[in-house]
Amino acid sequence: MTGAPNLVGGPTGRAADLALVARCRAGELGAFEELYRAHAGKLFSVACRILGNVSDAEDVLQEVFLSAHRKLDGFRGESALATWLYRLATNQCLNYLRSRAARTGELTETLDEEPGLYEPGRTGLADQTVAKMDLERALTQLPAGCRAAFVLHDVQGLEHREVAEALGIAEGTSKSQVHKARLRLRTLLGSRRR
Amino acid sequence: MPCSRYRESAHELVDGTIGPIRRAELESHMDGCLDCRSLVRDLETIRAAAASLDPMEPPARVWLQVAGRLRQEGRVRALPGSSPAHARSARHGALLAIAAVLMMAVGASIAMLVSRLATSNATSPATIATTAPGGNAAPGATVQDVETEFRLAEQHYQNAIAKLEQAAGLDQAASAGQASGDQAMLDPQTAAMLQKNLQVIDQAINESRSALRAEPQSAAARDSLFDALKRKVALLQDSIALMNEMRKGDASGAAQIIQGASKS
Repeated sequence: MTGAPNLVGGPTGRAADLALVARCRAGELGAFEELYRAHAGKLFSVACRILGNVSDAEDVLQEVFLSAHRKLDGFRGESALATWLYRLATNQCLNYLRSRAARTGELTETLDEEPGLYEPGRTGLADQTVAKMDLERALTQLPAGCRAAFVLHDVQGLEHREVAEALGIAEGTSKSQVHKARLRLRTLLGSRRR
Repeated sequence: MPCSRYRESAHELVDGTIGPIRRAELESHMDGCLDCRSLVRDLETIRAAAASLDPMEPPARVWLQVAGRLRQEGRVRALPGSSPAHARSARHGALLAIAAVLMMAVGASIAMLVSRLATSNATSPATIATTAPGGNAAPGATVQDVETEFRLAEQHYQNAIAKLEQAAGLDQAASAGQASGDQAMLDPQTAAMLQKNLQVIDQAINESRSALRAEPQSAAARDSLFDALKRKVALLQDSIALMNEMRKGDASGAAQIIQGASKS
């Protein structure tokens, strides 16, 4: 039940990426608009969910595409264009969260040592479905790192290999972050029902 | 065998990546373990709910601002003859540049104002001591100075609105009570929707101004006025983007903008 889109896209997809990037590098605005239209929706969804705020996500998305245009010379096609853009976007989002935390004194907790997180029967959803709004709200309570991994893997459908590449972490770390996020969500969503 | 041994396998089962041996072990364990059965069921529920979350589309103004900045920095060019009407394309470029420059000017004013107001909240109401290195305000700035900056920032918004209205041809349409110039490119229903939204925002601007006149020190009234002015700038930008999509004959792009503008 993965349903994960393969962002690598194979040789044809990679060739199409490189051709589009070459037109963008040549300064063709229409080509960059094509690139924007193809990827902006996914990146905006990711930014909204990592940042928990639509207005901040708009600012970050704008910076992501301006930064992407500046860095196009560095795109060699080793990874899919989508993965490269996801990496730019998640970096921008995490930097934004770090600077917001520094400004406001927000805590940047981790899930490393939460007692009882792994106890299977600790809390449960009691066979109930999860409302989208509840899940969106619970997502904002996850630490940034595992929230980003969860959004990329479980919401956007990337494979762990792609999540790892986008976040600049090891594949095992991606799995561990997603697993921790799910367990924390289970606790958050379970306690909401009591 | 402790349940924690099967934790990894439970996630792999949900992801569909578990191997046959580990799967058989996990299923055998779950036959006698209610807690692990419940865990797997919950993980499946969360995974399914996450995959069903709706995709989100950015408002049209984001592309408008990106394109405006790229043009302004001289990093892009339109292909000659790529547009059905070159003159229109040039005008579109000018509108993008206007929109981007205005938004940056307004943003800088607001950032300056917010910085001052934040400082004023942290210090005495009578005197604002903004002595931080690199700060915008001079040391010893007073509440009157902040008032002056507030009026300046509001003026920036008003200028932005006036120029965008002129660019979109909405000022003439509003005064004539009918679509004119570029706005005539929009279908009557869309033009009416834009006008209605503008009226609602104008009403919010007027109400915020009245509240601010009654309570000049009210931060809530100031925020409300700036929010309404900002919404008006955004709606006007959407209107310009919409007319551009109509020129290009891009129905899906236009529909996307209409959807966003109808929520303004």
